[in-house]
Amino acid sequence: MTAPALTAGPARRTSTVFVATAFVAAAASMLMGSMLAMWLDFRAKAPTRVASDGVSLIKDWLKKDVAIPEVAATTLMFTFVIACVMAQWAVYSARRGDKSHTTLALGITMFTGLAIINAQVALWMQIDLVLRNDAYETMFYAITGTMMAIIVSAVVYSFVAMFRVLAGRGADHDVLRAHSLYWYAVSGMFAAMWFVVYVQK
Amino acid sequence: MSITASGAQSTETPVGAVAAPVRRLANWLISVHHATIGASLLVGAAVWLLVASAVGAVLGVDRLDAGSATVSADALTQLFSLHRYALVFGVAAPAMLGVVVLSLPSQLHAANLSLPRLAAFGWWSWLVGSVVVLASYLGNGGPGGGDAQYVETYLLGLGIVLVALVVIAVSIAATVMTRRNGQRLGDVPVGAFAGLVTAIGVTLTLPVALGTLVYVWLDFVNARVAFGGTDLIDSWLGWVMREPHTLLVVVPALGVLADAAVRTARSRQPLRGVVLIGVGISLSVVASSATQQAHVFAVGETPFGTLQSFVPYALFNLVPLLAPLVVVSLSLLALRAGTPGISGAFVASFLGVGMIFTGLAGSAAMHLDALGIVGTVFAEATVVYVVYGAVLAAMGGIALHAGSVTGRALPDGKVVLVALLGFIATVLASLPHYVAGFLDQPANAASGYDDAGVVGVANLLVAVGHALMLVTVLAFVALVVGSRRGNVASDRYRTEAA
Repeated sequence: MTAPALTAGPARRTSTVFVATAFVAAAASMLMGSMLAMWLDFRAKAPTRVASDGVSLIKDWLKKDVAIPEVAATTLMFTFVIACVMAQWAVYSARRGDKSHTTLALGITMFTGLAIINAQVALWMQIDLVLRNDAYETMFYAITGTMMAIIVSAVVYSFVAMFRVLAGRGADHDVLRAHSLYWYAVSGMFAAMWFVVYVQK
Repeated sequence: MSITASGAQSTETPVGAVAAPVRRLANWLISVHHATIGASLLVGAAVWLLVASAVGAVLGVDRLDAGSATVSADALTQLFSLHRYALVFGVAAPAMLGVVVLSLPSQLHAANLSLPRLAAFGWWSWLVGSVVVLASYLGNGGPGGGDAQYVETYLLGLGIVLVALVVIAVSIAATVMTRRNGQRLGDVPVGAFAGLVTAIGVTLTLPVALGTLVYVWLDFVNARVAFGGTDLIDSWLGWVMREPHTLLVVVPALGVLADAAVRTARSRQPLRGVVLIGVGISLSVVASSATQQAHVFAVGETPFGTLQSFVPYALFNLVPLLAPLVVVSLSLLALRAGTPGISGAFVASFLGVGMIFTGLAGSAAMHLDALGIVGTVFAEATVVYVVYGAVLAAMGGIALHAGSVTGRALPDGKVVLVALLGFIATVLASLPHYVAGFLDQPANAASGYDDAGVVGVANLLVAVGHALMLVTVLAFVALVVGSRRGNVASDRYRTEAA
């Protein structure tokens, strides 16, 4: 007698939260992408004029006396790596049913996000740009401010995910996968902004 | 607990002390049911359509005499801007998303949308943003506005509306992606697929407008050196209320037509895969929207120069034309393959998609340098064609799904009559401006042209067309309200819908 063949189990349902997060991440990427594109366009079209020495050309974009705090910006960039690793650790721990480590990983992700916000504020204070004079200043604060809002949303996501785990929903891996996806996306957006605004200027 | 016609559970409890209207209002305020959210969006769109058609009629009357102004010159820029906003973000977007939200769960045999609270949040945000935008215009704000605070209010309202539409789109996309009950994506009804396409399009393009809005707002409240003052707001954000971007918003109209054809003919869709590809072609518009570019085709001095101008022109203007063309052609084929017949849903959506195609074709023609019609009223007519076409298609969508969603189908014959009235209104409100465009009547202006002869007649017809659309909307609302109260009409689409 042969054992009856087992029927296939139900197909795994695609996670609603994961799909929605992917779409939100795509929307946020388009937001930052469009702002960066306009930044590059304005920078390329910034008028040039002859310097006081009568020889060299000056591009009316970033003023000479404005110093971009590159160390702070680069540190900020690499802080995102920590946030991504922690978010992925939360997924790994949740799969193993390790609630305490999941909570710890999400907590560290959240506090890393807060540290990023703190660093961005410190960077604004260091650069000391006045938002009154030219296109560069307007666009600098617009793009970094929008990035800040996106980072805040990621921190809130971490808080909600951590709260859910603490409340006993640790087995809901989809939320944690979606959370890590969002942090990857935010890190990618910041990397692009960091390169264009802080490195290329 | 009771069960509604759509199968959703209602948790309303009889409270003797509370009057029924108050209870209904409370239920509406907290509802996360797709039928309520979809119907709310459609009602909001109908209200904005009254505003848009009234403004269109006023502008048409104002243009009858280029010498004397009925509307003051200061308010004219704002009125034109309000008309565009009302058409695209007041009417087309909520009407199309409303039809999708209303019908999507029944198309997928799901109980409700995915993330219904998100969809409800989107609807309420859209409402708040719309009210803020309208208030800003009333307070002398908006593009070309004289009151700086109300101009900022306009930017705030527009930002809220953009976010709201993206939020609704995310809910729609998540529903199609995750609630197909085992169906492959290629097997879902074309209406559901079109909902996904429009959700993707909205999600990818409206954030681009939002990013521009952030720049414009920050510049406006500070230096005003990079993006200019109020007069330049439309030059930065105008693309989002013009063709071909409007196609992304009205893609559900294609889905309504494809589904209506199949259900009317009681047949299977021939070349169904091609229909899906046709709907998907609409996403080519993302390229022009994301780059915020409009390409005019001009014959170059060398063959290579001509090709260099033609390729982006074709990509941005001709390729999107294929979407309605493919769907209309194959819908007719479906009708031929089955039992040919006339139904309200088919007539309304067929005429609607036809109008959308005419608007897009006009936009493509407008971007031909040789015709020299850029900057004329031709551009206004293309928007009216697309948006009023979307309105007709929305009526078709409601007729198609009303039975399965609410249990009360619309009387077919009356829907056909209203659709024909809407068709005449659409043609009158836009075709004369196509003609006037060739006679160099300038866009967004009520002076600077010869108002005698054909141009004068054209402006009169446009005013009549907008007024007629107002009547059409009222007639359709009366039809829907009447169907809720009168005898139950037979739902000719039910067999296939079940």
